Amino acid sequence: MHLKYESQLREPLVYGDKTYKQVTEDIVRPIEAKPTKLWYIGFYIAVALLMFGVYSVYREVTYGIGQWNLNKTVGWGWDITNFVWWVGIGHAGTLISAILLLFRQGWRTGVNRAAEAMTIFAVMCAGQFPIFHMGRVWMAFFVLPYPNTRGPLWVNFNSPLLWDVFAISTYFTVSLLFWYSGLLPDFATVRDRAFTKLRKRLYGIASFGWTGSTKHWQRHESLSLVLAGLSTPLVLSVHTIVSFDFATSVIPGWHTTIFPPYFVAGAIFSGFAMVQSLMIIVRKVFNMEDYVTIGHIEAMNKVIVLTGSIVGIAYLTELFMGWYSQNKYEGYTFWYSRANLFSPYGWSYWGMMACNVLSPQIFWFRKMRRNIFVTFFMSVIVNIGMWFERFVIIVTSLYRDYLPSSWSVYYSPSIYEIGFYAGTFGLFFTCFFLFAKYFPVIAVAEIKYVLKTTGEGYKNQMGNIEEQKLEEFVHEHAH
Amino acid sequence: MEQKKHWQSFGELNQSEAYNKDVKDEFREDLPFDAADDGKSFLDAKAPRRDFLKYLGFSTAAAAAAASCEMPVKKAIPFANKPEDVVPGIAKYYATTYVQDGDAVSVLAKVRDGRPIKIEGNDLSPITKGGTSARVQASVLDLYDTARLRFPTIDGKEVTFEAADKAIAASIGGPAVILTSTITSPSTKAVIAQFLAKYPGSKHVTYDAVSYSAILLANEATNGVRAIPSYHFDKAKAIVSLGADFLGTWLSPIEFARQYAVGKKLDEKNPTMSQHIHFESVASLTGSNADEKYLHRPSETAAIAAALLSAVNGGSVSGIADAKLKAGVEKAAKALSTNKGAALVVAGSNDVNVQIIVNAINNAIGAGGSTINWATTNNTRAGIDADFTALVNEMNAGTVSTLLIHGANPVYSYHEAEKFKAGLKKVKTVVSFATKVDETAALCKFVLPDHNYLESWGDAEPKAGHFSFIQPTIYPLFKTRQWQDSLLKWSGVADDYLAFLKNFWSAKLGGVAGWDKALQDGIFSTATDAVSAGSFNGGAVAAAVTAASAGKKGGKVELVLYQKVGIGAGQGASNPWLQELPDPVTRATWDNYVIVSPAMARTLLNIDLNNGGQADAYEVNPPKKVVKVTVDGKSIELPALIIPGTHPDTIGIAVGYGRSANMGKSADNVGKNAFPLACSNGSTVNYYCADVSITLTDSTYPVALTQTHSRYDTAQGNRTEVMKELTLAQYKHHPTEIREERDTELKPWGGLEKFESQGTIYPVYDRPGLKWGMSVDLNTCNGCGACVVACNAENNVSVVGKPEVLRGHEMHWLRIDRYYSGDMDNPNVVFQPLMCQHCDNAPCENVCPVAATNHSSEGLNQMTYNRCIGTRYCANNCPYKVRRFNWADYTGSDSFSDNQTGVVNDVVLDMNDDLTRMVLNPDVTVRARGVIEKCSFCVQRLQEGKLKAKKDSRPLVDSDIKVACQQACPTNAITFGNANSKESAITMVRQENPNRQFYVLEQLHVLPNVTYMAKVRNTEEGAHQT
Repeated sequence: MHLKYESQLREPLVYGDKTYKQVTEDIVRPIEAKPTKLWYIGFYIAVALLMFGVYSVYREVTYGIGQWNLNKTVGWGWDITNFVWWVGIGHAGTLISAILLLFRQGWRTGVNRAAEAMTIFAVMCAGQFPIFHMGRVWMAFFVLPYPNTRGPLWVNFNSPLLWDVFAISTYFTVSLLFWYSGLLPDFATVRDRAFTKLRKRLYGIASFGWTGSTKHWQRHESLSLVLAGLSTPLVLSVHTIVSFDFATSVIPGWHTTIFPPYFVAGAIFSGFAMVQSLMIIVRKVFNMEDYVTIGHIEAMNKVIVLTGSIVGIAYLTELFMGWYSQNKYEGYTFWYSRANLFSPYGWSYWGMMACNVLSPQIFWFRKMRRNIFVTFFMSVIVNIGMWFERFVIIVTSLYRDYLPSSWSVYYSPSIYEIGFYAGTFGLFFTCFFLFAKYFPVIAVAEIKYVLKTTGEGYKNQMGNIEEQKLEEFVHEHAH
Repeated sequence: MEQKKHWQSFGELNQSEAYNKDVKDEFREDLPFDAADDGKSFLDAKAPRRDFLKYLGFSTAAAAAAASCEMPVKKAIPFANKPEDVVPGIAKYYATTYVQDGDAVSVLAKVRDGRPIKIEGNDLSPITKGGTSARVQASVLDLYDTARLRFPTIDGKEVTFEAADKAIAASIGGPAVILTSTITSPSTKAVIAQFLAKYPGSKHVTYDAVSYSAILLANEATNGVRAIPSYHFDKAKAIVSLGADFLGTWLSPIEFARQYAVGKKLDEKNPTMSQHIHFESVASLTGSNADEKYLHRPSETAAIAAALLSAVNGGSVSGIADAKLKAGVEKAAKALSTNKGAALVVAGSNDVNVQIIVNAINNAIGAGGSTINWATTNNTRAGIDADFTALVNEMNAGTVSTLLIHGANPVYSYHEAEKFKAGLKKVKTVVSFATKVDETAALCKFVLPDHNYLESWGDAEPKAGHFSFIQPTIYPLFKTRQWQDSLLKWSGVADDYLAFLKNFWSAKLGGVAGWDKALQDGIFSTATDAVSAGSFNGGAVAAAVTAASAGKKGGKVELVLYQKVGIGAGQGASNPWLQELPDPVTRATWDNYVIVSPAMARTLLNIDLNNGGQADAYEVNPPKKVVKVTVDGKSIELPALIIPGTHPDTIGIAVGYGRSANMGKSADNVGKNAFPLACSNGSTVNYYCADVSITLTDSTYPVALTQTHSRYDTAQGNRTEVMKELTLAQYKHHPTEIREERDTELKPWGGLEKFESQGTIYPVYDRPGLKWGMSVDLNTCNGCGACVVACNAENNVSVVGKPEVLRGHEMHWLRIDRYYSGDMDNPNVVFQPLMCQHCDNAPCENVCPVAATNHSSEGLNQMTYNRCIGTRYCANNCPYKVRRFNWADYTGSDSFSDNQTGVVNDVVLDMNDDLTRMVLNPDVTVRARGVIEKCSFCVQRLQEGKLKAKKDSRPLVDSDIKVACQQACPTNAITFGNANSKESAITMVRQENPNRQFYVLEQLHVLPNVTYMAKVRNTEEGAHQT
């Protein structure tokens, strides 16, 4: 039935001689079992962080943005840094599901569900920052262009911040739809295995009455392709538009045409790193090493070293242009405020360089790419580095811009800025833990789809067949 | 015709008794609950259960609603009978006079709905010509100070004035001493004379917090008059100042700033300027404005004066070791000698010998009759140190039985305060007329608070023959009484002070009409244009020179005590606007500190400002190292600020800080009192110490600076687009230099001519009709800060307090940037007032997602507060960084209740007090938390001016509108108006100054509407850094 032939040299995408039933068992079992102690501990830590975040936001909304340490010169700090960081992380999921789907990359099946979930949760986290960085968040609805009673007042379509509103809400909507449509057959599987009425009912509703008929499958496939087609430009557009927040401004260090590609590459870079961090934990905790294999990890590490190097070239280009343009304001920002290790924020620039450009080069070595510990460690390093990147762009550009008279005192976050960031971690992991408990973390149907072509058992079988003499094969199949 | 009466009923017509009762009791029905009393159940009562429940329900709901509604009930009561000449919403201006200690400035008080809300300069005054200072501008807030004493007290307990009068009458007796700060009021002097006549043996002693007795005594010695002449900086082509901060704090700074600007204003076609050579020890406002500045130790002042005298007399310069300083003296002598008859020397020293030598120099250069006028004396300072010392001794000897204190606060400002305090205990009756329980009043048995000047009647004569009148602009807020009234009462005079004043003046002014006219104008002058050179007698000079050369030599480190522009000798300390006004020189708020030079910082603080890393660390971290300064066993610990332009071996500390908590929230615990470090040299008080020790402590203390970096020529690039300055020689040699520099900067976008169209990819639009524009002349701006405070008052700009300034949260719409260039040990300083530039192509406008900031058809960049959602994107994208964000609920106007506690400090809460809020300008919205605000070009004044022109059916003219900063400026450095009009002043200024004009950050193509005129320095040296 599968016409695709794959070389024996390729690693199998699913280890173990799995049958369809086994696949279902492996992936759906955690949903049906009681959560482990580890899950509870993790979940409660996440909820605690979330509560801290809620308190921090409460402080900020009630007492003002002055609860943060921003000032007249540095109007954005951790808030927008974290926003861009989370949006960046939210890129990998759609990239994996949409672009890799269109490119028929079979290995995506092991990680796409979790990666998409991560995307959605990351975008949810990201959205908190532009909302709560507003001085008057209760007026946030002003950014929505709808016919209103406030006279001729309308939003300002020139503002990149408004573009953000559209870009991110669109991205979130499409990602959510894409993720959910993929979940339908799997929810149906869980429903069919349900052992209580309530489960049956809930998963029944969630699966939208999926019966697995050919018609359903055909529509499902078409929808997936359409949504993949829609999402693909979004992967590029979202971070492009986020980068416009900076690129269209007049501030040296922001006013840079290189930003869109550089931001997209950086987003994929950090997104993959985040997928790595999560999947390495998930496959261990849920015993899914057979589905998220070392091959997956290696593939993603290759993407990381590629995008990391693209980002590195962007950094060097900026530095070059800072000198080549002979614009003294840009020159100051790039060469003094950033590249000078001994300037007040020099540490953040070199932290970024070390984490994003130098350290991922380790993945040129196959041994390192396939080393779980190195990968996990690097994935964390990369995300720290990408956080630094956004911090460098925002804070080091602002704190010393055009007029020396307005140069800022040292900006460092207040406890509530840190709390808000920690709170989004809480939100992210709370969602992720719930997801891991109640949703199939690996796309069951899609694994089954590739199982017959690239599963280990099938591959071995095919290998045996290939090595068989013709007579033996004929003999075996003669009956 | 008799009024017709309509009746409604026969009862009403007949006024029957029954009818009247009915009318009276129409709604008076007892609640019918009494039925329950006689044993019946509620159901049988007249009001059944359901009614009861209805009442119960309603009253519970009403009580709940009333209890849960925390919004305070604010009552706005309209006039029952509207006074004929008061139109709600229309401001009235009353001429009056700002009086504080000896200072007297003619002003107009803007009164809205019965409240004075803004002080403006009085254009009619020949002294100030409408100029003001930061302190004058801020004085309206003192009226509404919550710390004012609200009633008379005896031993701290409230009494009535009658009771106080009775008690005082019982205990008062001669010999009485009236101790005051300098009094310029002729009528008050008459009142005092009456009082002194009533109690024989009494006397009046004048005490100035910062003494000018050396000038008075020196003038007595050389000119035979114990007085201060008028100085005419406008007539001087050469000005030499020996540490006199005449633009900031010395004698009559508003007048001097105006005069000084005359010489500094540059006519581009005929470029001449006065030359100002300044000698000083610690960087001051005046020194920062000088064309050339030389640094010396304070103990060298006399030697410099002597050397200068010798040099102008054709002798040699001797006794000065430092080569640079010697060259400076020679140069100053040359400048003075070549400009004889148009030259002036002033000295800030309070050493009689120095002032005698200065008088001799002025005599030698022919200043008398030209730049010094003895016909019109300056009356603003009259205190003689020896008189006060004598009084203190008498008090300690117990020979003073009554002491009446007005305007003087020796417990705080006298260097031997302990001695004065000891003496005070021996005086039987001590009465203070202080408006607050200041340091001295706290030790007085009787405190009878005086009115604020805005509640008072009075007069002043700051200069001989120049009278200025005080009329009340508001009914006294508290139970206070003018101190003249008290004196009159105790002298047994029946008249009150108003009657006395009217009598006093009516004769002189030609009756009531003259009096009314004088009150309306606020000024009256008997001064003539006569100029007197005075008679110079050089007999004392030789002795003074000898004394000067024998003067005490300084130790390793010397200390200078100086006054700040805003705080003065402590009078401004209780005013939050002045505390938050950044000091022009140090850019620091809310503290005093030790000023050290960069050279001393290297050795003492281990901070080298030439070392990038160390300079950065010093700049970006508010905590500064604390040093301990010890003088004669008295020591003081303060943080050290590194201020270039300070002598390497001299440190400076501002006086006026460390006030008592009684002075108000903004004075409480701010800085430390440096007055005790002053010392007497036998006859006068010295405000410097020749030998101090300074040591570094382990602690640090945060100083709230509003500007941390001060060079525009950073190591990585000379930001010529930010600031342009050059020397007069350069300008004469190449007048179009600045213009060509701009052209070069804009070369990539078509050069100066085509920049507007070629610097953008968008079409260029016409801008017809009104187009507001401003021009700031950096040559005449001296950085005094009057405009900053005027802006605060006009636009309800919040005070945020020290903790918030430390975090870069200050709200000033207008700031004065201070840049250094050249040698960092003794740099050139230039001040640049920076407000919203109202860019035609404003970068803030296109980034706002909700279009809360947008462009008006008149070229204003306007801010719509209630549309703002507070993303701060506009502030980030403003290259001038003039946008301010409301980080917290500074104004108490937030819809979230109770969100100020613990977030904003007591000063801010005090500014939100119902009393203090009376100062708010009702024409300007008070901004809520979470929105951006910025300079609006005083749009409320623009609207008012436009309406005025419209009502008169005529085109708008310049005189219709003066924006607040422009109005306040003593030097007219700011020009504002319609740039599209051919006749407007702004168009003229721009046309007349094509060569010096520049826009800040012009190359960004934001097309700002504020032009600046480059700073030109009158010096031959190539000080031009660009």
